[in-house]
Amino acid sequence: MEIVELKAVSRVYRNGEHEQYALKQVDLTLKEGKFIVILGPSGAGKSTLLNLLGGLDSPTSGTIHVAGKDISTLTEDQLADYRAATVGFVFQSYNLIPTLTVLENVALVKEIAPDPLSSHEMLKEVGLADHIHQFPSELSGGEQQRVSIARALAKNPRILLCDEPTGALDSETGVLVLKLLLRMAREMGKTIIVVTHNQQIAKMADTVVRVKNGRIVSCEDQEHPMTAEEVDW
Amino acid sequence: MLRKKRLRTLLKYKAQFISMIIMIALGVGVFVGFNMEWYSLERDTGELLEATGFADYRIYSEKGFTAQDLEKILAVDGVKEGTRFLSVNTTVQGDTNVLALTVSENIQVSGVYLMDGEPYDPESLDGIWLSDQYAEKNGIHVGDSLGLTYKIMQVRGTVKGLIKAGEYMICLPDETQMMPDYNSYGFAYISPAMLKKAILFEFYPQINVISDLPKADFVAAAERALGKTTLILGRDENVSWAESRGEIEEGQTMGSILPVLFLAIAVLTMVTTMHRVTASEKTQIGTLKALGFRNRRIILHYTSYALMIGLMGIALGIGVGYLLGWYILSPGGAMATYIDLPAWKLYVPGFCWAVLAAILLFVTGIGFLSVREMLAGTAADALRPYTPKKMRHLRVEETKAFKALGFGTKWNLRDCLRHKSRSFMTLFGVLGCTILLVGGLGMKDTLDAFVTQFYDVAIHYRNRINLDGENVTRSDAEALAEAYEGDWSAMGSVQMGEKPVSLEIYHIQRDKVRFLDTDMKVTPLGDEGAYICGRIARDQGLKTGDSLTFSPYDSEDSYTVPVAGVLSSLTESIVMTDACADAAGIPYTINTVYTDAEEIPSDSRILNAQSKKAIMDSFDTFMELMNVMVALLVIAAVVLGVVVLYNLGVMSYTERYREMATLKVVGFKDRKIGRLLITQNLWLTVVGIALGIPAGIGVLRYLLTALASEYELKLVIGPVTYAVSVLLTFGVSLLVGLMIARKNRHIDMVAALKTEE
Repeated sequence: MEIVELKAVSRVYRNGEHEQYALKQVDLTLKEGKFIVILGPSGAGKSTLLNLLGGLDSPTSGTIHVAGKDISTLTEDQLADYRAATVGFVFQSYNLIPTLTVLENVALVKEIAPDPLSSHEMLKEVGLADHIHQFPSELSGGEQQRVSIARALAKNPRILLCDEPTGALDSETGVLVLKLLLRMAREMGKTIIVVTHNQQIAKMADTVVRVKNGRIVSCEDQEHPMTAEEVDW
Repeated sequence: MLRKKRLRTLLKYKAQFISMIIMIALGVGVFVGFNMEWYSLERDTGELLEATGFADYRIYSEKGFTAQDLEKILAVDGVKEGTRFLSVNTTVQGDTNVLALTVSENIQVSGVYLMDGEPYDPESLDGIWLSDQYAEKNGIHVGDSLGLTYKIMQVRGTVKGLIKAGEYMICLPDETQMMPDYNSYGFAYISPAMLKKAILFEFYPQINVISDLPKADFVAAAERALGKTTLILGRDENVSWAESRGEIEEGQTMGSILPVLFLAIAVLTMVTTMHRVTASEKTQIGTLKALGFRNRRIILHYTSYALMIGLMGIALGIGVGYLLGWYILSPGGAMATYIDLPAWKLYVPGFCWAVLAAILLFVTGIGFLSVREMLAGTAADALRPYTPKKMRHLRVEETKAFKALGFGTKWNLRDCLRHKSRSFMTLFGVLGCTILLVGGLGMKDTLDAFVTQFYDVAIHYRNRINLDGENVTRSDAEALAEAYEGDWSAMGSVQMGEKPVSLEIYHIQRDKVRFLDTDMKVTPLGDEGAYICGRIARDQGLKTGDSLTFSPYDSEDSYTVPVAGVLSSLTESIVMTDACADAAGIPYTINTVYTDAEEIPSDSRILNAQSKKAIMDSFDTFMELMNVMVALLVIAAVVLGVVVLYNLGVMSYTERYREMATLKVVGFKDRKIGRLLITQNLWLTVVGIALGIPAGIGVLRYLLTALASEYELKLVIGPVTYAVSVLLTFGVSLLVGLMIARKNRHIDMVAALKTEE
């Protein structure tokens, strides 16, 4: 079943009279419950695509349907509701609130999510049950990223959007994080969309979307994706 | 190239830089303004007193002094100059106005300062030199004719000149009136020749003397020379000198209190803001260092911001100071309604320039230290973004109550603790705002209550009739009081220890005069003893039940009476009933009648009458000045609150930008994030107000003691003042919070979250 459907989506940035296309006439359909990797070099438009899917940005033209809802015409408040209910974000730089403990960082989504999951459970899922009262600054990078994943999952979203989630981690920790994300797709049925320029990560994906110069170059399903252990990091 | 960067950085941090400049300008303005006020007043009044030969001592005798008496005084070692002097309140013919008719035999002492017309002529037989202020208010010009009446004496002459005089620098008819009212009261000088022509003999009840001798020495020498004890008053006991000195001392006190508050806030704002600005510039500082710029060059570059801010703030502050000085000291200024000077020139005391140089150095030093902190270590260290202190667990976090708090509360609470200096500054800004509001509005409440109690409640008559005491017998005075259905009193001066104080003996049957206790409540006078004012009680260590001793001037007798109570009084006085005075055998002469009668026909027994309305009218000017002062304080409080809170709000917003972007990405709406931001401001506001109210009361209490102890003011703060102070401070905080919260809409989630943490 399709969860994401983009039709003729363009995103243009204007600087005076100069126009720059970050995305140009993009059509894309993605299936639910899959581990999807969007691959491309810097400046290809992959982060723009992710931001549009996450409701952080709106397209200049075209329509974006996520979970059957057209998000391209939503107001600021409606987009906030959409982010609160449908998508979770994981960033390269974790973006945790430094003044809240691990548990509080995850539990804060209860304030806005309509159907949140147990924060304790989510932290247990990501293997941080013993660190719940620590502040982010007391954790390693990998641990902070796992808190960020737990926070994204605690909203019980249908889609998890990950922008270079292993970019700031060493390869060993990166593998742990990727395994965790894969497990979320396989066991919890979440759609995981990972944006990266790392070709190796693409080997784990059910679907690989290649982006270049603001266009989708290819969108291929992989019948036998590798496990994290099988990939040569 | 760095020059271009400097300009762009200034634009980038314009809110911060502008707020630092405003705070320094406010602090410097208040500092320069108030110090300029007292210093200019000291010099301007000094010039008039010097030019008119203001006397150091005044020797009184009801019987008058002969030329030989003056010779004896002039022969005293240490006496430089002297004059026989007369000053009596006369009624202006065809009018109810009163002019203090003045004659000084030697015009070099207690003389005049010509503003217009002919110079003073000691031989003139028809010349009147009139107060220019009185002339202006009453439409009198040089060349006009003027007639004056004192008892049976009639003086008529031509206005030859318009003048000012040191003796009447503060021109008040008596101590009940606080502000001059030139519409109804002024002064005029005539020559000794004209006086002699009018009364056919010489009569001078006063000798005014210029002398450097200390008072005790002068009194001893003068009494020895004259061969009797007599009332001798020094400069301190003269209203023109004492009140103008009081104003100067008030200015000195204000110049050392208010600027401290403003400058402390300015410096703290500077420390916090410069640190934040350099912290957010840290990677740029690191980049310059990595590129090969020397530390000294980078330090100079960033220190130059602080120097520029300091220079601009100080320059603007000096302007504000001059404006403040001009508002108080100019021909149309606030002080000119009180003190009558020929010229109002503004001078800045020398030490102010030194203090301003120190402020500039200090402010620049703050910039220097801030950038040096960011430059510490290697180029690689400097390149790393500034990281605030790591969070630490607090004991309170273990409590159930803390755990039960919502996420927003925890977030704000920890943020306050993490950014202590910012939180402290916010608190300090709110505190300053509340202190100014409570202090300013409380001052108005206190004076309103004072005026109401002293003048609406205590003065319960319509007219006060001054009798020609020497020529009115007791039975005549009593008959007059009876005819006017009034009460009477006998006012005089007595010596208590070395000090002259008023002795006021009252016969109150018709409730025309009331007396206030130290709580400003009406209290009846008993016959069992004397009542003293708060200052005598304090200075002499007297309390109810003690005894006090005093002696009348021109007499060797002394009297001891028990202290029956302590009163609030405008004058330093001993008050008693006539029954008490009679029982103690104290002699007195009835010289005042208090009545509700509206018309007081002229009568040989009556010198003049003074209406309560005239006294109250003089307060209008005083209260108007007070209102303007309070309005200025309220404006200062609001400016201070807005500038400090906005600056810190922007800082808080910038520092939490990334956190707010995260919340926005997670799904928080702008309104909710805005509420979180405003909540923190409001918490600090609540704490600031809770501390500010008692601090405001404390400051006001101190100011009342330091500035106006002679009025024995009782601190009064009405509920409206509390309500306005709280609501206005809250309003300022909320307004600034909303202004900052509006910025949420423009948070660029993508850009914010991409940046390196």
